[in-house]
Amino acid sequence: MTTTTATTSTPGRAGRSGVGGAISAAAPPARPSGAGISGRTFTIVTWIVLVVFAVIWLIPSLFALKTSLSENGVAALGANEILSHWYPTLHSYSTLFGAGDIWNWYLASAITGIITTLLTVVFASMAAFALSRMRFRGRTTVMLMILLGIMIPSQVLIVPIFEMLGAANLLNTYWAVIFPQVPAVISVFIFKQFFDGIPRELEEAARIDGAGLWKIYWSVIMPLSRPVIAAVAILTFVGVWNNLLLPLFVLTNPNLMTIPVGLATVQGSFGQRFADIQAGAILAALPLVLLYLVFQRQIVEGVAGTGLKG
Amino acid sequence: MTSATTTPNVPSAPNSPAAASAAAPARRAGRGGRPSDRGTGPGAWLFLAPFGLFYLAFLLGPTIWMFVASFFNTSLVHRGLGSFAGLDNYVEMFSRADFWSSLWHTLQFTLYTVPPLVILAFVFAVLTNRLQRGQWFFRLAFFLPFILPSATISLIWVFIFTPATGLFASVQSLLGFTPGSGILADPKSAMVGVAIATVWWTIGFNFILYLAGLQDIPRELYEAAAVDGASTWQQIRHVTIPLLRRTTTLVILLQIIASLKIFDQVYLMTNGGPGISTQVSLGLITGTAFTDNRIGAASAASVLLFIIIVAIAVIREIVERVAARRDQEA
Amino acid sequence: MRVRTPLGSAGRRPVGRRTLLGSTAVLGASAALAGCGGPLGAGLVGGEVAPETLVFWNLFGGGDGGRMQDMEKVYEKAHGGSSSLQATTFAWGNPYYSKVTLATVGNQPPDVAVAHLTRAKPLWDGGILDPISEDDLASVGLKTSDFNEKAWSAQVTDGKNIAIPLDTHPFVMFFNHEVMDKAGLLESDGSLTDLSGVDTFESALEEIKGVTGSEALTSANVSETATPWRLFWSLYNQYEDATPFLSDGGAKITVDEDIYTDITARLQKWVEKGWLNRGIDYAGSQTQMATGKAGIYLQGEWEISTFQSIEGLKFGMAPIPTLFDRPAAQADSHTFILPKKDRTPEQLTQALGFIKSMLTESMTWAEGGHVPAYLPTYDSAEYKKLTPQSDYASAAENAYYDDAAWYGGSGSTFEATVGAQLALVQQGSTTPEGALSAIRGQLQTYLDPPSPL
Repeated sequence: MTTTTATTSTPGRAGRSGVGGAISAAAPPARPSGAGISGRTFTIVTWIVLVVFAVIWLIPSLFALKTSLSENGVAALGANEILSHWYPTLHSYSTLFGAGDIWNWYLASAITGIITTLLTVVFASMAAFALSRMRFRGRTTVMLMILLGIMIPSQVLIVPIFEMLGAANLLNTYWAVIFPQVPAVISVFIFKQFFDGIPRELEEAARIDGAGLWKIYWSVIMPLSRPVIAAVAILTFVGVWNNLLLPLFVLTNPNLMTIPVGLATVQGSFGQRFADIQAGAILAALPLVLLYLVFQRQIVEGVAGTGLKG
Repeated sequence: MTSATTTPNVPSAPNSPAAASAAAPARRAGRGGRPSDRGTGPGAWLFLAPFGLFYLAFLLGPTIWMFVASFFNTSLVHRGLGSFAGLDNYVEMFSRADFWSSLWHTLQFTLYTVPPLVILAFVFAVLTNRLQRGQWFFRLAFFLPFILPSATISLIWVFIFTPATGLFASVQSLLGFTPGSGILADPKSAMVGVAIATVWWTIGFNFILYLAGLQDIPRELYEAAAVDGASTWQQIRHVTIPLLRRTTTLVILLQIIASLKIFDQVYLMTNGGPGISTQVSLGLITGTAFTDNRIGAASAASVLLFIIIVAIAVIREIVERVAARRDQEA
Repeated sequence: MRVRTPLGSAGRRPVGRRTLLGSTAVLGASAALAGCGGPLGAGLVGGEVAPETLVFWNLFGGGDGGRMQDMEKVYEKAHGGSSSLQATTFAWGNPYYSKVTLATVGNQPPDVAVAHLTRAKPLWDGGILDPISEDDLASVGLKTSDFNEKAWSAQVTDGKNIAIPLDTHPFVMFFNHEVMDKAGLLESDGSLTDLSGVDTFESALEEIKGVTGSEALTSANVSETATPWRLFWSLYNQYEDATPFLSDGGAKITVDEDIYTDITARLQKWVEKGWLNRGIDYAGSQTQMATGKAGIYLQGEWEISTFQSIEGLKFGMAPIPTLFDRPAAQADSHTFILPKKDRTPEQLTQALGFIKSMLTESMTWAEGGHVPAYLPTYDSAEYKKLTPQSDYASAAENAYYDDAAWYGGSGSTFEATVGAQLALVQQGSTTPEGALSAIRGQLQTYLDPPSPL
C-alpha cells in the first residue's frame, strides 16, 4: 500500500508506484518452479501470440507511412504497387507544407490545445482545492453537481452549445473550441483525489506564517501536485487536439480549422491524391506521437486513472 | 498495492480497481465528513467561481437549453426559439424509422466491438504482463493508435478499405477470398469496417485498464495457487479472470457509453452510408440540426440520447458501488 | 527504475507560475495581433483573416475541380497573384451546404460561393443570401440579357436575383457510335436518327440489344440515388400534364400518380425485356457503354470528360429523346451566390468582379460538358464549334429543375430518398406502388413539421 505523500521530493517513488512505472518495472507474477515446463511453453506461446498481434497492430500505421512516402501516381494504383516501390519520396510532405493551410491548422490546434489545457488545469485545481480544503455551505450541493457533471455526455450537447456560442458571437473563433472544453469535470475529481492525499501538516508552516488560502494553494499545494498536473494537462491537450465533433461545426473558416477538421473537410481539387492524404493523416498525428514518446508514463497513467474518458 | 489512479501517490480509494472510480471520493464527500478546519464561505466560492462559471455556461446551461428547445420549432437560421411545438418533436422522433435505426446501429456497433475489445485486450494484457522484457514495445504497438486523432485513423482505414486495390483487398486475395465492392460500400458490411477500425484504434485503452488491474492482483495469490498445483492456465482461469471481473464490467459499460456517443469514425468513414446503413444517433442529431436546420427537432433527439446515456452512467455508478461494498465486506 | 519525465524534472519552479505568465503572454499577443489580421488574430478576437483576399468556396472535385482552378488562376493573374484569392473545395452535397449555412450563421461566410440553383433557393429562404440588384450587375458590366433565359428566370425568387448562373447541366444521352451505327440508328452524317416517340424509341432499344447482345441502355442504380431520380424526373416532365412532385415549398407531395406509375412500370418493362440494366453502379454503367455492351448511357453531361479520356472510343451526345408529349430533361445550374455578410461597396464590387471573371472564362467550363448560361460564351463561334458539347446544348432550353423544397435540390435528402426507391423499382425488388408508399412514408418526416427556413 502506497502512502507516500511528499511526491515531488521523491521522484523515484512516484515513478515506481504509478501504473506506467509499475508496468515497466514489474516482474511477471512469480511462478514457482513447479510449473516450470508448462511455464516455459507458455512463455514461448506468449511471445509468438504477442509478436503476431503487435505486427498486425503496427501494419496500418506503417502502411500509411509508406503510402505517404510514395508518389501520388503510385499510391493511386493500390497496395501492391505501393509496397513494391521501395524508394521513398518526401514529395507529399513538401506539397502539404508548401500549401500553407496545414500551418494554419497546426496553429489552431496548438493554440486551442494550450489555452484549454491552461484554463482547465488552473480552474479545475482551484475548484478541487476548495472542495478538498474548505468547509462551506453548499459543499454537498457542489459535490453533487460535480458528480452530475461527470455523467453529462458533452458530445450530446453539441446542438445547444453551438446555439449558445452563436448567441455569444464566438463562432469561428478559437474560443468556440476552447470554452466548451474547459469544464472537464473529471479533472476536478482527479485533482481533488490527489489533494486529499496531501497531508495537512505540510500547510501548517505556511499557515503559521500567516499565508492566505491563495498562497497555500499556489505555493504549497500546486508545487506538490506536479505529477497530477502533468497527467491532467497532457490528457486535456490530447483530448482537445483530437476533438472532431465540436470544431467541425463551430469552425467553418478554413483558416481557423484545427488539423483534424481541416483534413477531414477540405478537399484537394485534383482527383484523389492518396499519398498526400496519408501524409496529412501522419502530420495530424505526429505531434501526439512525439508527445507520447516523451510523456509515456503520464499518458498511460492518466488513461488508466480516468476510466471515465471516452 | 497501487491505487491506479491518475495520481500515482494518492493514498485514497485503497480498494478501487485500476480505473479509479469517481464513486470513491464522491462517497467520502457525500458523508461530508472531511475534516476541514479552515476556510469558510466566500473564500471557497472564489476558488470555485472560475470553474463554476464554465460549468454553468457550457455544461449545465446547454443542458437546460436543450430541454427547452426540444419543445419548440427552433431553426438554425433564425434567432430565438421559434414557435411552440409541444411534444411534436418527440412524437416525430418516436415515429421516425431512421431514429430507431440509428439506435439500432449503435447497438450493432456495440455488439461488433465489445467482444474483441474485451477478449483481445485481456489476452494482450495478460500476456504482456508476463514478459520480463520488451513490455515497452507491446505497449507502444497496442496503445499508440489510441492517442491518434480520429481523422488520422479514418483516413488510414478508408484507404486500407479501398475497393479492389486497397491493402484489405490485397490481404483478402492473399487468403483466397474474392474482394467484393469494398467493405464500406456494402450496407451489410459497412458497420463491420467501422468496427474493425475502432477495435484497432481503441483497444489500447482497455489494454491499459487490464494491465493496471493485473498490477493490483497480489503475487501471493498466484503463489498459493501454484502451491496447490495449479497450472498456468488454471491460474489465469481461477485467479486472474475472477479478480479482473470488475475491470471487465467497467470496460463493457464504458464501451456501451462510448458506442452511444460514436460519431467521428462513422462521419469520416461512411458519413452514415451507404444509404443510412451506418447512421448513428449523433449523426442523426447533427444532420437534423446542421443540414436540415432543425435545431428544435435535433434537441429532442439529443434529449432522448442524453437520457439513455445518463441512465447507463447511473447503472454504472450503482454497479461500481455495489462492487466496492462487496469488496469491503470480503 | 523509471525516473521522472522531463516535465517533472524541469519543474524546479512552480509550474503554475510559468504557465500563467505564458497565458498572459498569449492573451497579450492576441490583443496586439487583433489589428493585423492573420489566423491568430482572427481566431482569438474574431474578424477576417485577410480582408483584402477574396474568399471563394466550391464543391467541385475531379475534372470540374481542375477546370475551376484554371479559371481561378486567370483571376489571380489579373488581380495581383495568388494572395488575391483563397479558394476552398469542400465535400459535395449536403456537407457542403451545411458548411455554407454554418459559416454564414457563424459570421464568417465566404465572399462568393458556388451553389446549385435548386439549393440556392432554400439558402435564400433561410436568410443566408444577399440579393443581387440590377445596379450591382451593371457595376461590373453584366445584365439580365447576358444569361440563358431559363436559368436566369429560375433563380429569381421573391422578385430578387439570388444567384448568378454559370451553366445548365442537363441529364443527357450518350451513345456509342459503333453500336448505334450497326443498329442502323445513325444518319449518313453521323448524327442520330430521330428517336422521338416511345414506340420508335422502344424499337430502337430492341435493335441495339440485337447488336450488343446484352443491354441497350444503361443507367446507374446501385449505390446511386441521383441518377434514378434524374431519369425519372426527365421522363415525368415529358408529359404535358405533369404536376410538381412537391408543392408549397415541400409541405405537400403532389406527384401525378398516373404518370408516375406509367413511367416506373415502363422502366420495369424495359428491364424485363433486357433493354435496361437491372442493377449496375455508376462506374459499371459507364463501362457498359464504353465497351459496347450497351448503346446508350444516360447521365449528366459532365461525364463527357470520362469518355473523352478513353482511347479509341467514338461516342456522341444528344438531348434525351422526346418519348411523350414534349421535350424535357432534368437539370440544375451551378450558380454563384453571395452569402449574407456586411460588405463595403468595394467588397461587393470585388465579389461581383470575381463572378464576372469566372463567367468570362466559362468557355473553359463548357469544355467540361456544362452548357454555359452566359450568352456571350454560349453564342460564341468557339462554343458552336465545340462538339459534341454544342450537340446537346438545346437540352438546356427544356431543363426541368427539382421542385423547390427546404429539403430538396441536388444532392439533397429529397433526391436521396426518392432516388433510392426508384433504384429499387428498376432492380425489381419493389413495385411502383410499394416504392411510392415508401417515398410518402419517408418524406412524412419533412412534410409535417413547419419549414425551419
